[in-house]
Amino acid sequence: MHTLLVTGRLLSRALWNGIANVSSTPEPNIHRKNESQLISAVCGFSKERQIQRLIKGQFGDDAWFSAKYKTADVLGVADGVGGWRAYGIDPGEFSLQLMKTCERLVNLGLFTPTNPSELLAKSYCELLHHKKAILGSSTACVVILNRDNNTLYTANIGDSGFMVVRRGKVIRRSEEQQHYFNTPFQLSLPPPGYRQEVLSDRPDAALTDNIPVEDGDVILVATDGVFDNLPQSIIVNELIKVQGERCAGRLQMVANSLAWMARNLSFDETFISPFAESAFFNGINTIGGKPDDITVVLATVAI
Amino acid sequence: MGTSRFPEAMARLEFYVQSVLDYTSRYNYSTSLYYAPTNLIGEYEKYPTYGDFPEAYCLRTYGKWWKNSESYQPNYRPQDYDLLGAEDYVTVQFEHALIPKDICVYEIYNPGAVVRIWAKLLYQTERPWALLWEGQPEKFPHNSRKFHPKIKQINYLTDTIRLEFNQTHLEYHYAVEAILLGGYVPTTGLQTSVMSMGLLNLLTEPVTSKNQCIDNVSITIEDLGTDFFSSLPNEVILHIFQYLDLKSLSRCARVNKRWNQISADALLYQNINLKPYWYLVNCDTLRYFLERCKTLKKLDLSWCGSDDVDGFGNLVVSLLEANFSTLTHLSLGNCKFVDTEVVVRLIFCSELVDLRLRNLSWRDMALWFSSSWHKINKLTALDLTSSDIDDNQLILLLKANPHLKILIIDLCEKLQKLDQVVQVLVDCNKQISTWSSWKTLSLTAEGVRRFANCPNIKELDLGWCLINKDPGNCLHFIAEGCPQLKRLILSEWRGLNDALIMPVIMSCKELTQLDLLGNKNITSDTFKKALLLLPKLRLLDISYCDSVQQEEVNAWRQQYPHITIQNYII
Repeated sequence: MHTLLVTGRLLSRALWNGIANVSSTPEPNIHRKNESQLISAVCGFSKERQIQRLIKGQFGDDAWFSAKYKTADVLGVADGVGGWRAYGIDPGEFSLQLMKTCERLVNLGLFTPTNPSELLAKSYCELLHHKKAILGSSTACVVILNRDNNTLYTANIGDSGFMVVRRGKVIRRSEEQQHYFNTPFQLSLPPPGYRQEVLSDRPDAALTDNIPVEDGDVILVATDGVFDNLPQSIIVNELIKVQGERCAGRLQMVANSLAWMARNLSFDETFISPFAESAFFNGINTIGGKPDDITVVLATVAI
Repeated sequence: MGTSRFPEAMARLEFYVQSVLDYTSRYNYSTSLYYAPTNLIGEYEKYPTYGDFPEAYCLRTYGKWWKNSESYQPNYRPQDYDLLGAEDYVTVQFEHALIPKDICVYEIYNPGAVVRIWAKLLYQTERPWALLWEGQPEKFPHNSRKFHPKIKQINYLTDTIRLEFNQTHLEYHYAVEAILLGGYVPTTGLQTSVMSMGLLNLLTEPVTSKNQCIDNVSITIEDLGTDFFSSLPNEVILHIFQYLDLKSLSRCARVNKRWNQISADALLYQNINLKPYWYLVNCDTLRYFLERCKTLKKLDLSWCGSDDVDGFGNLVVSLLEANFSTLTHLSLGNCKFVDTEVVVRLIFCSELVDLRLRNLSWRDMALWFSSSWHKINKLTALDLTSSDIDDNQLILLLKANPHLKILIIDLCEKLQKLDQVVQVLVDCNKQISTWSSWKTLSLTAEGVRRFANCPNIKELDLGWCLINKDPGNCLHFIAEGCPQLKRLILSEWRGLNDALIMPVIMSCKELTQLDLLGNKNITSDTFKKALLLLPKLRLLDISYCDSVQQEEVNAWRQQYPHITIQNYII
């Protein structure tokens, strides 16, 4: 009963967080005739069962942002690598700052709508110049809807990712980049002295892609907490429901249910999750979900 | 009055900054966003939260510490100084021109530095800058502030605002997050044309009969009977005139023929500092000085000529050409007019001793060096902050100027081989006393170690130079080789630890300023030793050093009241 109460509160807080985000986006006046835009909703959970202090843009070690500029709509997620906790470094700080800096760069127009990996690289280089040394590492995924040609430009480093669904059919899904099992590619700023021991990938190692989109296409940008626990079929079944949806509230409901399902399955010890399947292929015998921070950024294209 | 009702008939609008046109100070690289002037753009996010956030525009200097530095540029003409002591400015542009009624400055860290607010008037090409507000700098520690002064009401349209700052009284860095301009715009074509022709000002500013006042004064002088001043010999009057500032001097020139003659003497125009009068300086001003300056020694044109006036650069060229053989000090900070023409002339100023070229928008140093750069060979001070000089050019300059004492290359992003530059410095410039390479990228521990061969060095600003590099034991060498070190800035040397910094604390007993901002791995024991063992220490910056507790710092502050300890954590 206790856990139910706690998770109930968690859910309502997450809902509030998501809705607060929706209402704060200044969309209608920007949206001009014949100009495409993304309508988005966010939901997520920290893997901690206790209630965490709620910071906008952060779920546990995960972070996200959504931003708009004249020429483009931008969404992004990042997943801080938890291993840094052992070194006394807060893993959430790196991912949060990475996303916040992306958001600022977009708001100030300091990015190229066709080059999301450049945006990631700029943000990453910026972190080094914070007076408070921001240390740690993170995976990241950024998608940009370029209004000029209605094309989605994406950059992905590590095992966060995106999925584009059109009328129930997956037309593009990002590929995972891993050094070896459960060790994704990552951007990192290690403390001085640890440089040799730390995995660090250049921002230009990001996989980039571009996808022409149509009105009504559904875009899911999420961290591995979602993709490792939800089989694709379940995700697609949910995404069908918001094909062509223009109401942010209904989009929010689906984002909530995706995040909620991912969270429940992540604590399910008998479920054969995509993570368990992948482990099995790598010769590791395990079963159940993978408890992790969960971030769902759901968007539809409106043209 | 119809005039007071008129603005209300227009539309009231408010804008946040759209773009930053010019600035004199920055904390970070031009490509970087953190602490950058571009952060002024748009609405505020952090205000009213108080703190040192990277999302605001942060000035590089604060307090008396930079003014006390040996590298600080002395005033070339001390009688011409700025009463409010403006150190820096930023010029911002808004989306729409309007008649300014309100200006709000959102200061989120150590507020109180604004001393002047200027508006650049549209359609006014002669003297475009109008002063909207000026006042003494203030101090509001530990709270953010929405600065909303009562500004002078003008009936001109403006879309460009300049803020002047004096941050020398502040305890730590000053940061602004946003600027709001509120005012009225004409809504009809008639209003627009009335505004653009300045007709409204005919109504509000009746021409005062100035002539009358002056007549009255002259009558009182005549009443005194004898004019003792006129019985002085020319030489004495000339000597007295030497103490006058430029404004008084030009007023004296209008008194009578004799005064006019004496006030035109070239001796009075050997040292010129036009920076306090930047808003007045135009082509006529330069022609005025061109007539009088025959043996110009020191010239400070910083902040002047920013308004794209045709021919301004040419007149500066003429002024330089007329004084090639005498000019020793030249400062052209933030001078927009500096182009190839001007810089090529610099080469012929062979007597130059002190050259300050801060924040030039001109980006073609190579041209200067392709010609006969080596004619300049007497430099003792060189300030190239934010310039695009490259390693080879700098090395040539160092080799040509063996007497160089002060070198400032802060934020020079093109310098890729600073270790080599330091080696040349060690070989050629034995007298170097100040080296400042704040936020340059290419220095390594090996290069820093070479400073140990500069025994005269007193000030070493290496802030952010080794952010993510291993400093090794280079400070051990510095401690042994540089006993006179007074100022040492090691901000964000993140690889530094107790053992590596200790030699400096043990040996450099002359240290007055030690900046260890962001050195996470140095513990409070070491700071305690620094306070105890450095008898002349006056400033210790240990902000963002996580190992120190606030209570501990408070205790130190009580124990060492003469030492300023900066300890800020976000």
